[in-house]
Amino acid sequence: MRDLFTEIWESLRRNKLRTALTGFAVAWGIFMLIVLLGAGNGIMNTTESNMSGINANTMRVYGNSTSKPYGGFKQGRYIELDERDMARTASPAFADHVDDISAVLSQSGFKMTYGKRYFDISLSGVYPEYGQMNRVEVLAGRFINKNDLKARRKVIVITHMQARNFLGGKENYESLVGQRVKIGNLSFQIAGIRRAAENENDSEIFTPYTTLRDIFAKSDNIDMLAFTFHGLETEEENEAFEKDYKRSLNTLHGAAPDDERAIWINNSFRMSMQMNKGHHMLEVFLWIVGLFTLLSGIVGVSNIMLITVKERTHEFGIRKAIGANPWGIMKLIIAESVSITAVFGYIGMVLGMLACGLLNATVGSNPLELFGESIQVMKDPSVGLDVALEATLLLVVAGTIAGLIPARKAAKVKPIEALRAE
Amino acid sequence: MLIELKDVNKTYNNGQPLHVLKGINLGIDKGEFVSIMGASGSGKSTLLNILGILDNYDMGEYYIDGRLIKGLTERQAADYRNHMIGFIFQSFNLIGFKTAVENVELPLFYQGVPRAKRHQMAMEYLERLGLADWAKHYPNEMSGGQKQRVAIARALITQPKIILADEPTGALDSKTSEEVMQLLAKLNREEGVTIIVVTHESGVANCTDKIIHIKDGVIGEIEDNREHRASVFGTSTIMK
Repeated sequence: MRDLFTEIWESLRRNKLRTALTGFAVAWGIFMLIVLLGAGNGIMNTTESNMSGINANTMRVYGNSTSKPYGGFKQGRYIELDERDMARTASPAFADHVDDISAVLSQSGFKMTYGKRYFDISLSGVYPEYGQMNRVEVLAGRFINKNDLKARRKVIVITHMQARNFLGGKENYESLVGQRVKIGNLSFQIAGIRRAAENENDSEIFTPYTTLRDIFAKSDNIDMLAFTFHGLETEEENEAFEKDYKRSLNTLHGAAPDDERAIWINNSFRMSMQMNKGHHMLEVFLWIVGLFTLLSGIVGVSNIMLITVKERTHEFGIRKAIGANPWGIMKLIIAESVSITAVFGYIGMVLGMLACGLLNATVGSNPLELFGESIQVMKDPSVGLDVALEATLLLVVAGTIAGLIPARKAAKVKPIEALRAE
Repeated sequence: MLIELKDVNKTYNNGQPLHVLKGINLGIDKGEFVSIMGASGSGKSTLLNILGILDNYDMGEYYIDGRLIKGLTERQAADYRNHMIGFIFQSFNLIGFKTAVENVELPLFYQGVPRAKRHQMAMEYLERLGLADWAKHYPNEMSGGQKQRVAIARALITQPKIILADEPTGALDSKTSEEVMQLLAKLNREEGVTIIVVTHESGVANCTDKIIHIKDGVIGEIEDNREHRASVFGTSTIMK
């Protein structure tokens, strides 16, 4: 092994400029691959973190307008969900798949006052299950519970941003739990403080559904129905369930059973499935672009090895005459090729990782100000250890392939012809 | 018989077929110091290539030490060359980017001899040829005679059955030529190395004990030259 490396080192040292230029092409190729994949991961991480507020298996159901006339009604009639829909969702007809259900009622235009501080707020009346469905992270106190719902208690869950404001910038949220605030003319008790979502303007305040309904809304209409489900694993199963579900709800509202648009469903499972598909396509695309960049580097290595073989034909003739077998010659060329690709590829990979770090420090940690909104373009752009290992393996394979054709050429030359060369 | 050729034929098929060797029959014993002499185009280089397993032949049989050398794979041929044959070339054929001692080591490297062992052996051989001080020098730092002595050391190091020397003095001045031939003669005399020299110089051939004349692809006269009194022009060749 040491002899082989000595040979390679001697050969590379004799052609410094050539080695450096070839190596640069390889380093550049793998550098681009790593940066592309890192940036791609950054973009994917961002979309994923935007989605993280929603449980993967949640459907949100909204009323919409009918798309066809039915039962004496014209098309375009607006459907409003109500508690019958809630009951239907909870009925045995859908019990095979539906788990937790929550009606959501939203109302805005309230003023919340605590001491001298106040907010313009909107209230969302929800069921206790809604907290889990939406992955609400409670920092202090608790979320709405069953007793709140049953007793229509005037309790609320506020965001940590609002809490911080109430506390004058301090973060001892616990001290706020149990405190009373005024909403309109009514006194509400703070049951809990939750973490507001990072990227959005999240100021939703939660209160029991029944409280909001009976005090403010005074009807049994609901704005949204959310439920978690299980046992729907494929796109087709989801589609079939949604169709069934819509048909069932449509009949409650006198809409055509086959009207696809009277009820609108936002299925997080299907969304994340589509997102995964999109991510996968993006990743494949980036790999292809990266690999083609790398390919030009590999072709360069192969080319240089061909020149090397031509230059060293006479030497190989000598080696053969004194007893080198074809594999002994091939080994020299392939090992040289693998060495160039591996060493320079590794350099390119390290530089690529550094570039990803730089990207993280600049674009990754400073949200972009666009149209007055701050958008985080990239989150944690980097490649994992698995990709690094894959890339290393790729380099070794690529180096071997790059060396193979020149090496075969070198091994094939007859010793007498090789000795005659030059 | 160490070397035995029976009716060996060789035809080159590059466009016009060229029948170079037309039935060579030859035997060489162990410990002989032989020269093969012939004009250019006589087939002596082809014969040398076949003897050195660098080229194959079409018909006939070639034995080294009773082993038939025919239809070998590249691998086997390389192995036989490595173990049985030592080459000395007109143009030395040392590897330019390797030092003298590294060049001498190379055949042992292809035998898989460990580094320390082969270095030690290479140094021994260089010392025997009076080149110990030059071990770390590169070929382009040495004179022609020194280079040829390095090449001889490289040929000897595997202790081959045959040393094949192809115009070993072709690139050397007359004084150095003389020295190299004396060195080969000494190796033959003192260590019993079988040496075959291919040459077209009668002076060189005269240093050997037996002169085999080859002409137009067949063996001509075989001269016993133990007295080293071969006529300057040879007996049956035209003047060089």
